[in-house]
Amino acid sequence: MLLMVGCAVAQPTRYSADGLYNQGNSYARAGKPGLAVLSYERAALLAPDDGDIRANLEYIRASAHVPIEPSGRFARIAGAVRPTLAAWLGVVGMALIGTGLVATKGGLWIRWIRAGGIVAGAALVALAISNAMLLWTRMHEAVVVINNTPARVSPVPMGDTAFVLPEAETVSITAAYGDFVLIRTRDGHSGWVARANVSAVMPRS
Amino acid sequence: MHSRQRHWGRVIVVVLSLLAATTGVVAAADATADTTLSYATIEPDRIKLGDTAGIRVTTLYGHLTSVSLPTVPGLEFEITGRTEGLEFIAGKSVPASFILIRVTPKFVGVFTIPGLIPGAKPLGLEVVNGNEPNPYAFHNPGVPQPKPVAPAPIPKGIVLKAGGAAFVQLLIPKHAIYVGESMPIDIEVGIRPGIVTSLNGPPTLSSSDFTLNDLSKQPIRREQVIEGSPFEILTWHTVLAAVKPGEFSLAVEAPLSVRDARSTQDSAIAARLGWPFSQIIYNNLTPKDVKVPSPASELTVLPLPPGGPKEFSGAVGDFQVTSDISPASAAVGEPQTLRLHISGAGNFDRVNATMVDHLDHWKTYPVKSAFTPRNAVGYSGEKVFEQPLIAELAGEQSIPALEFSYFNPNTQRYERVDTQPINVTIAASPDAVARSLDTKGLRPDHPQTRAEMDELRPLYFREQFLAVSSVLALLLAGSWFGVRRRGAMGGVSKATERVLRQLDAAARAGESASFFEIAQHALLEAFARRWRIAPDKVTSVELQARLGSTGEEIERLFALADETRYSGYEMAAADFQSWMVLIRSQLTRVDN
Repeated sequence: MLLMVGCAVAQPTRYSADGLYNQGNSYARAGKPGLAVLSYERAALLAPDDGDIRANLEYIRASAHVPIEPSGRFARIAGAVRPTLAAWLGVVGMALIGTGLVATKGGLWIRWIRAGGIVAGAALVALAISNAMLLWTRMHEAVVVINNTPARVSPVPMGDTAFVLPEAETVSITAAYGDFVLIRTRDGHSGWVARANVSAVMPRS
Repeated sequence: MHSRQRHWGRVIVVVLSLLAATTGVVAAADATADTTLSYATIEPDRIKLGDTAGIRVTTLYGHLTSVSLPTVPGLEFEITGRTEGLEFIAGKSVPASFILIRVTPKFVGVFTIPGLIPGAKPLGLEVVNGNEPNPYAFHNPGVPQPKPVAPAPIPKGIVLKAGGAAFVQLLIPKHAIYVGESMPIDIEVGIRPGIVTSLNGPPTLSSSDFTLNDLSKQPIRREQVIEGSPFEILTWHTVLAAVKPGEFSLAVEAPLSVRDARSTQDSAIAARLGWPFSQIIYNNLTPKDVKVPSPASELTVLPLPPGGPKEFSGAVGDFQVTSDISPASAAVGEPQTLRLHISGAGNFDRVNATMVDHLDHWKTYPVKSAFTPRNAVGYSGEKVFEQPLIAELAGEQSIPALEFSYFNPNTQRYERVDTQPINVTIAASPDAVARSLDTKGLRPDHPQTRAEMDELRPLYFREQFLAVSSVLALLLAGSWFGVRRRGAMGGVSKATERVLRQLDAAARAGESASFFEIAQHALLEAFARRWRIAPDKVTSVELQARLGSTGEEIERLFALADETRYSGYEMAAADFQSWMVLIRSQLTRVDN
């Protein structure tokens, strides 16, 4: 049985957007919103333009009463391209800029082409950098996989509880100490949570 | 006159006693040397708390490699050195080796140090409080003397035993108790330091029909003068319990080692000498092990009345009972702890509670208990019973009252106490909440059509991609830097550089003809290349048409070249520089 809690989430040896999406559906049907959201988030990394993944992610969050933060225009544009494609487009952009800067001779039409290449290259590099920045924040995100997870004021089991996290909420991990990680919620609250209660969106390879 | 004779009589007795003591020690040492060749002595055998005493282990005619240090509660031993020398025995010098041991006491009392070597006799050490006068010090008229010890009558209940050197007393608060009832009692053992050399164990009951709590803890020590002699009184606070009903005569006895005076005459002399000289007489006596009993106390043990409740577990005393549960609220499947607090005074070893055997919609687990005494003997305190419970059903739940029954000797009847029922709110389990997740709106599964990847980490953050893009960026940056550098150097070709060097050389040499000839030739070639015409087609008209005012300057240069060639015109050094600027700008433009 694949359905387990905490960090004991079964990790496929190879990742595919479809596999992770189907895994998220399985978790959702089994009543595990945290693990379902985690799988959808991972699937969305590979296929950010997939409407089914985005729809099921928002649906499960709504069902689990977890607030959904609307993404901005910048994030939508930057996240619309698949990361692998965006990375290679960034390389092409760098090549265009470089070629335009190096090729200094030629007639008027060559100069126009050169200027156009530099502008297009800069746009591609900007797209890649934006996409990378978006993913950089996602690399440090985690999903709460245990309901009513206590966030403590100190990284000890007997530490006072500052607030309680619902299952399926996505948080940012900012530090780690022993068996605890320091998390920050979307509304800016910070607290120490047991490692076993959250699972990182980007698994350690 | 009479008092003077009495004084000298005392002095003579003291001197004779000292001689006898010295002779005895020497004789004893001689005897020891003949048999074991090793013996141990302690000096002094009475010290103040905070001082140390020294044990010297002497070995005659040889060496003792080591001694095993004994373990005596309240004393610390440390070997401080080993020496060799001579020991004088009966006027003869005998080669001997010595092991020196320092003894540091931790509290006052009379200690017995077991033999340090096989066959050796135990040593006695008495430790007194630091504010007591040294009994061995001779009185100095210049030093204020302590007040003489005032004779005091023997307190009630005390019967001196062992030649007046010790007494044991049992103090009980009442003479009728119930079977199983715990009664706090005191046992006092009074000993005369120096005469009683050691206490060989805790006091014991003379009857097996009663039980006593553990007496292994150190007793409370105090000092009291009884009949003019200082006594050290050891008090044990403990709890007595009766096993069966009946009329009993109860006593305790304490095992002691006592230096017993051989005759009543000796005792009388010792008493007449008074402290500390009486000690000299007792020091020469070998301690004997004796058991000193206390006077018997009559005690009636009553049976518990019949008709006790079925939950009665044998608890006798006066108790109060409360209960609680923590945490006060929980979800289905989460453990809670139900606690029953029984506090008061009585036989807590018989206080028992089964708590909750079975409870519908709850899982119950075995009970654990812990007792926290409020006094040293454990007669009063609080016993807490803990039972883990796990709710199996959400909603309002009620934990029934807990019962506890005991016999109260004050009211002389059985009493039953019920706690208040506890209401708890049990929430649905998180799993149950999760399972109620609405999944009807989920979009269906996908067929596996998309490619699989080895790693979820984006390409940006993989080492290979970072290496490739970094190398590419470095290459482009290097190329751009190279192009820029070339542009900064003027962007001239090697041929142009060679022409410019020739012109510089001619200008420095002041050779106007050579300068203008090279310049004219290079410019004609450059214009022809730039305008893609033959050099002879570069005319004045062409120059003015294509270069404007600069063309006129070039035309003038060409005219000067012709003039110099035919008339030997010599140009000033400043003119060379101005023409060089013009020529350089034209040749560089051609290259770019």
